[in-house]
Amino acid sequence: MISQLPINLFRFFLLLMAQVLIFSNIHFSTYGVNPYVFPLFILLLPFETPRWMLMLIGMGAGLALDVFLGSMGMHAAACLLIGYLRPFLINVITPKGSEFEISPNVHAQGVAWFIIYLGISMFAYLTFYLFIESATFYNFFIQLLRIVSSTIVSVGLMLIFLFLFSSRKKRRFA
Amino acid sequence: MVNLLRFFLRYYLLFLFVALQGFCFFLIYSKNKYNQAAYINVANGVSGRFYSTVSGVSEYLHLRGVNDSLALENAHLRAQLLDSRFDNKTDSLFARDSATRFVQVYSYIPARVIRNSVNQATNIIYLEKGKLQGINKQMGVIAPNGIVGQVINVTDNYAAVMSVLSKDFKVSAKFKKNEFFGNLHWDGINSTSATLEEIPKHVPAKVGDTIVTSGFSQLFPRNVMIGVVEKVNAAPEKTFLDITVHLSTGFGNLSYVYVVNNLRREELHLLDTSTVVK
Repeated sequence: MISQLPINLFRFFLLLMAQVLIFSNIHFSTYGVNPYVFPLFILLLPFETPRWMLMLIGMGAGLALDVFLGSMGMHAAACLLIGYLRPFLINVITPKGSEFEISPNVHAQGVAWFIIYLGISMFAYLTFYLFIESATFYNFFIQLLRIVSSTIVSVGLMLIFLFLFSSRKKRRFA
Repeated sequence: MVNLLRFFLRYYLLFLFVALQGFCFFLIYSKNKYNQAAYINVANGVSGRFYSTVSGVSEYLHLRGVNDSLALENAHLRAQLLDSRFDNKTDSLFARDSATRFVQVYSYIPARVIRNSVNQATNIIYLEKGKLQGINKQMGVIAPNGIVGQVINVTDNYAAVMSVLSKDFKVSAKFKKNEFFGNLHWDGINSTSATLEEIPKHVPAKVGDTIVTSGFSQLFPRNVMIGVVEKVNAAPEKTFLDITVHLSTGFGNLSYVYVVNNLRREELHLLDTSTVVK
């Protein structure tokens, strides 16, 4: 557990910087795509993180992002949501008797699992976040288009990140 | 208690989630101008409808207060009328300024009617104001559209008014069009008409002529509406006309009246008594 701290801290700062410096500056204005890779930090926390800690870490990380993006509380709320939903989601989508590493790993769980995992999480995240941000249900379908396109782009970027930084080592069976 | 605790322990994650979300939303709505505005917009829409319903209901509850304030305002406005003031114009040629030119002679006190009758031989109206509110005996009482009567008795907080519909009530009245004056008193028949006496036969009285107060009594200012001529009867054996006046005051549904305070009453009374003694 403790050994996971440095790698997660590193991932936190890397994703935070990538989000703040790069992806939040990208505006594909025609479809209003705003990609978010930062939630990957919460999604890649170790499996055995207690649920209350997931929520606290999620909210804290979200607040850190909010501080940089000037959207006080919005990302915190959305990150808290995926922190809360994550254990349920993992339970639902993971087949019985699968291999587990300490943290979710693209080589252990497989790309299909990750696409579902990230897709559902990011859909929830973006739905929550974008509706809080716009604070209205006006233009619902345009909003939905934004959510779907942002989810697709975000998941794609996250997969790239996973393939770049995931290690093949340290297998263990749960 | 234990069950309650168990319940909280069992669902503590959910409670934690809800509490943290509450905190996040507190941040969102306290730090973000746009969300604040959106929230206030919706909240105003909802609360606006709510309050308009509430005020629709409470308006009825506040009608009395509204009436009170309107009556007070009317009393003030009535006091501004020229008939409530003495015009100095004839005294000094150069007093152009209205503040010095007009001297307030009458002021008005609004009061609510709490008891009323129209079918006695002497009809007494009770008002909800008395000595403490500045009402004295011998003050005149008028309604928005005509005269009502005269205060005959006051206690600290209530006043009794002998209405026009009383066999003992008399008031000096005149034709508005030509200033001929006479005495008006109630004929005791019905609550809508009274008799105007002592109008000589040469006066061109017609049905529909307006009768107003003359201002000769200390009770009322000049030109307060009394009624219109309903019937003119020139009986050959009498020296005066028999004129029936349709009273403009609706005595049946009086609710607010104005008590006329003649600010020069004492002075006039002094003059009256000293003149009579001599």
